[in-house]
Amino acid sequence: MRQWLAILGFVLGGVVVQASELGRIGFPKAEWITENTVRIPFALVDHLIVVEASVLGQKGGFIIDTGAETLILNKVHCPKNLPMKKKTHSSSGVMSAMSDTFQNMIEKLSLTTYFSIPNKRADILDLSHIEKQKKVKILGIMGHSVLKDYEIFVDFYLRQITLSKLDKSGNTLDRDVYLERITDSLDFKLNRHAIVLSATINKSSLTLGLDTAAELNQLTPKANSRILKYFYPKERVKVMGVSQRKKEVLIGDLHRMKLSETVFMGPMTTMLSRMDHMNQAFGTELDGLIGYEFLKQKRTIINYKKRKLYFISFPIVQK
Amino acid sequence: MKKILIYTMLLLGILPVLAQQKGYRIEGDEVVFTFHRDDYHVAREDGFGHKLDFDNLDIRSVAVAGEFNNWSTHQWKMVRVDNDRYELRKKLSDFDHQFSWEFKYVINNILWAEPDKSDPNITRAFKNGRKLRAYNLRLFTARPDKNGNTTFWLNGYPKAEKVILAGSFNKWDEQAFRMKWREGFWELTLQLPPGAYEYRFIVDGQWMEDPDNPQKVPNEFHEYNSVVYVTKDVPFFLKGFSDAVEVVLSGSFNDWATEGYHMQRTPNGWADTLALLGGKHHYKFIVDGKWMTDPQNSVREYDGKGNINSVCMVR
Repeated sequence: MRQWLAILGFVLGGVVVQASELGRIGFPKAEWITENTVRIPFALVDHLIVVEASVLGQKGGFIIDTGAETLILNKVHCPKNLPMKKKTHSSSGVMSAMSDTFQNMIEKLSLTTYFSIPNKRADILDLSHIEKQKKVKILGIMGHSVLKDYEIFVDFYLRQITLSKLDKSGNTLDRDVYLERITDSLDFKLNRHAIVLSATINKSSLTLGLDTAAELNQLTPKANSRILKYFYPKERVKVMGVSQRKKEVLIGDLHRMKLSETVFMGPMTTMLSRMDHMNQAFGTELDGLIGYEFLKQKRTIINYKKRKLYFISFPIVQK
Repeated sequence: MKKILIYTMLLLGILPVLAQQKGYRIEGDEVVFTFHRDDYHVAREDGFGHKLDFDNLDIRSVAVAGEFNNWSTHQWKMVRVDNDRYELRKKLSDFDHQFSWEFKYVINNILWAEPDKSDPNITRAFKNGRKLRAYNLRLFTARPDKNGNTTFWLNGYPKAEKVILAGSFNKWDEQAFRMKWREGFWELTLQLPPGAYEYRFIVDGQWMEDPDNPQKVPNEFHEYNSVVYVTKDVPFFLKGFSDAVEVVLSGSFNDWATEGYHMQRTPNGWADTLALLGGKHHYKFIVDGKWMTDPQNSVREYDGKGNINSVCMVR
């Protein structure tokens, strides 16, 4: 999932815009907190974060994806008479494989009556293969272009996303968004739309992308042997490669990852696979990707403007 | 476009028709892994080695190994219940992010207890991508259980050969949950985690909504999916306040009622249990008319009016 989404994100980085009347995307389950903060419950579809949305009367899911560059709408569920413009150029060779990329302007993403995200460019793509694989109706993907203006709390404990508007300096407009204590933080680099983190395993450093739609972590087999020493293989799984070629990858648990002197990760299920396409997609040299496996261990707040992650502890549940 | 469908995970194996599940049962919010010596006839050494007859085995320990613990042959050691039975209890919530898990039992840390080909919840074992002549067991987080919490009925269709229940609880699998014919109706009982689920019946290949369930939502085929709501009993407790005259439990689940939800006095405080749907709920206690958050719950949130509420997550 992550891999092709990342490539989509890269491919769709063009500048073609055409206004039209697709209108509003609504999020019926969103909880309005203030005019600057909203919470949206999500469901996990396998390991994808999916929020319920509606477009032109159709209900379905939107994937929350920090790895995608833009807002993407599923062409399958767009009205046939929707005015849209075919993209005329691409920014990578992968684009040559895509013959049906279109764009449209979304007038408003209405998260609640009082909270909306105006004027976002949307890329129109056929996402029916995700629907077929995941067996859920997918209306689109919400990527970096929508998320970047907000502080985003991805909370796997309460199964919700909190979006809070930021000022120019990256401070939330609402003073008290969270009532639980932030226990730690981490700096990241933003390379185009990719959140890039530095980590170490066994005193060897590696560069990782944080991607909320990465269903499995990924690690390059070219990683330092000191790192691979802590990759404990579990099984081989067949995956479909580019050009529909099947290939086998090794899946196992990656241990002893440290993201700072205080941020430690437990073992994370990880796929050992070449990062060439990912690196092309993210425009940077990554040793791996972390996603679901990271977020299920850390209740994470992402602030693009401050280039920071913040963490809130999982509560101790009393029985 | 098709060329961008890269790295799609291929699911290895097909879901079997579920009947009595071998190797585990689900009790409340726990998975109970169960090993009984009589359920197995053959054991094999690790690495697909010698076959051994169970009758001659001196069983000193049994462990459960599976996808959930990296197939460790010793980590999840089971507790001996009697001469031939071993059990291990785990929280169901540790498994609920995946629909099914493969596992197997390990005798004395080195021998794999081989399931029979006739067991209902088996799946072919693979190693290094190669099919083995052996099977693993599968654990389903949603599964038929005659003592389960949700029963589905379809009246009529006496001549149907096969009726399947498919829904969001099993990713709309068209084979896994086969219903049973009773006198005049088809029936299946599932044990489901709390939540709202969409479902349909497949009668001899024809999909249909539940005609007797008015709760339904439109689907993408311009038809309807039926909806079932599964609740869970959730205990609430307020410690202390022994001098209080009354404590009311008020929350998003009862429309912030100020009456009718009186908690019971206990030696240590005040208690109540409510059947709640899966998901997030806001709540507060009203102690002799004074609203307060739950002092023992660190999870709190603002509502849309600037109030602070305690939050409980039902799953």
